[in-house]
Amino acid sequence: MTMPRFGDLTCDEVVELVPDFVLGTLGDAEAEAVRAHLTACPHAHEEIAELGGVVPYLAAALEPVEPPPELLNRILAAAASERRVALAVGPLAEADGPRSAPAKTATSGPSRPMTAPVGPVTPGPWRRPGRDFALAVAAAFALALLGAWNLSLQGQVSELTAYRQGIAAVLDAAAAPGSQLAVLAADSGTGPRGLAAVRADGTVVLAMRDLAPTVGSQVYEAWLIVGDRPPVPVGGFSVGSSGSAVFVTRTSPVARGAIVALTLEPRPGATTPTLPIVARGIASPPSD
Amino acid sequence: MADLDATDEAILASVANGQLDALERLYERYRTMAYATALRITADPGAAEDVVQDAFLCVWRSAARYAESRGSVQAWLLSIVRHRAIDSIRRRRPASALPESESAMPNEMTLPDVWPEVAGRLDRAAIAAALDALPGPQREAIELAYFGGLTQQEIAARTGSPLGTVKSRVRLGLLTLRAALIDAGHAPPGSSAEGGR
Repeated sequence: MTMPRFGDLTCDEVVELVPDFVLGTLGDAEAEAVRAHLTACPHAHEEIAELGGVVPYLAAALEPVEPPPELLNRILAAAASERRVALAVGPLAEADGPRSAPAKTATSGPSRPMTAPVGPVTPGPWRRPGRDFALAVAAAFALALLGAWNLSLQGQVSELTAYRQGIAAVLDAAAAPGSQLAVLAADSGTGPRGLAAVRADGTVVLAMRDLAPTVGSQVYEAWLIVGDRPPVPVGGFSVGSSGSAVFVTRTSPVARGAIVALTLEPRPGATTPTLPIVARGIASPPSD
Repeated sequence: MADLDATDEAILASVANGQLDALERLYERYRTMAYATALRITADPGAAEDVVQDAFLCVWRSAARYAESRGSVQAWLLSIVRHRAIDSIRRRRPASALPESESAMPNEMTLPDVWPEVAGRLDRAAIAAALDALPGPQREAIELAYFGGLTQQEIAARTGSPLGTVKSRVRLGLLTLRAALIDAGHAPPGSSAEGGR
């Protein structure tokens, strides 16, 4: 007697596949065939529940492991860059082509690529009209900075795209209540430039370009300077040949009007800045 | 900032609305479990970081597609982590004949999961002891499947054991584990958290 097939499988064949099915190690086609069988078959197939009920305990038995603290910031920066600020992104997207190039994130540790494909433009619910206007001004400034670059160099499109995503991340961070925004530039008016957002919780999101690549143990160190107090280092990052970087770090909440500065240090861990200052800007609420 | 006592589902709804602080809240809740799973599978801290980042970005992008009926947020998230981690090690395993799967998405889960019950009655030490008490070959086969992402055929090739033996070990190991968990007061509910890949 031939056993009936449901979803191209007999009950015996499904029983055979149950361990792989519940452990999630079937190929897509086989897993789909099992599902189709379970949907159509009149039998309960209790073995699915019997064996599958054990599976969640396998992960639950693992000892929790604390991830590196900077991972949260990487995730938030990447997420923020995906949910771009529409006011800033629209014109930029027209200017610099593909939307799928990965952004790069510089961290205080070894630099790691941060995949950040760009999703649909969706205004975030946290954005308020007044803040949007202020951000539009900031974005326009960012656009002006971007516009000054030589977009005819098509080889730099992906680099610019990555930087653009960083700018979106900065502006998203700046849109959070209590955040401040700083436009960074070299004192000479030419050279490195970028934006930094300082969130109320002390998270600093920095997007820079036109930086000289770091060599050896060199790092760019970000500093916060409040009034006459000594500069406070908030983290360093290396820069590759692209000259651009997106850097996220977290420090103590920052007073209004702090100066965000960047210096090139011979090695990580600087406690006093090595002059000259590469770029600097004053942080202030976007609504100012 | 989201309510400290907010349910996972409420937090995920905020994530779906694009609230970055909700994503942070979800991360704070599950970071250690997600990272432990990724680290166990990849055995590489850097790769595990990438997997966790990738998984949370997947949640960020697809939170609106989460269907509560298909499993808890925790199971959904950890399923993504696990699948991404296995994809990661498969990419490092060029000899593998397994197809790569980038589809660690919530809509793959077609069965109700048991995470709420597991989380509510979790005694990690007892569960670990139950796993440790399994005969070595059974535990090895289950761990190669769950944490290594190997099919039973691959486990057979890896361990030099006949396929039929591997099948028996996995099935018997899961049944033995179930019995041990019941003895330890962790009666596994009768449903699955995994729905294949």
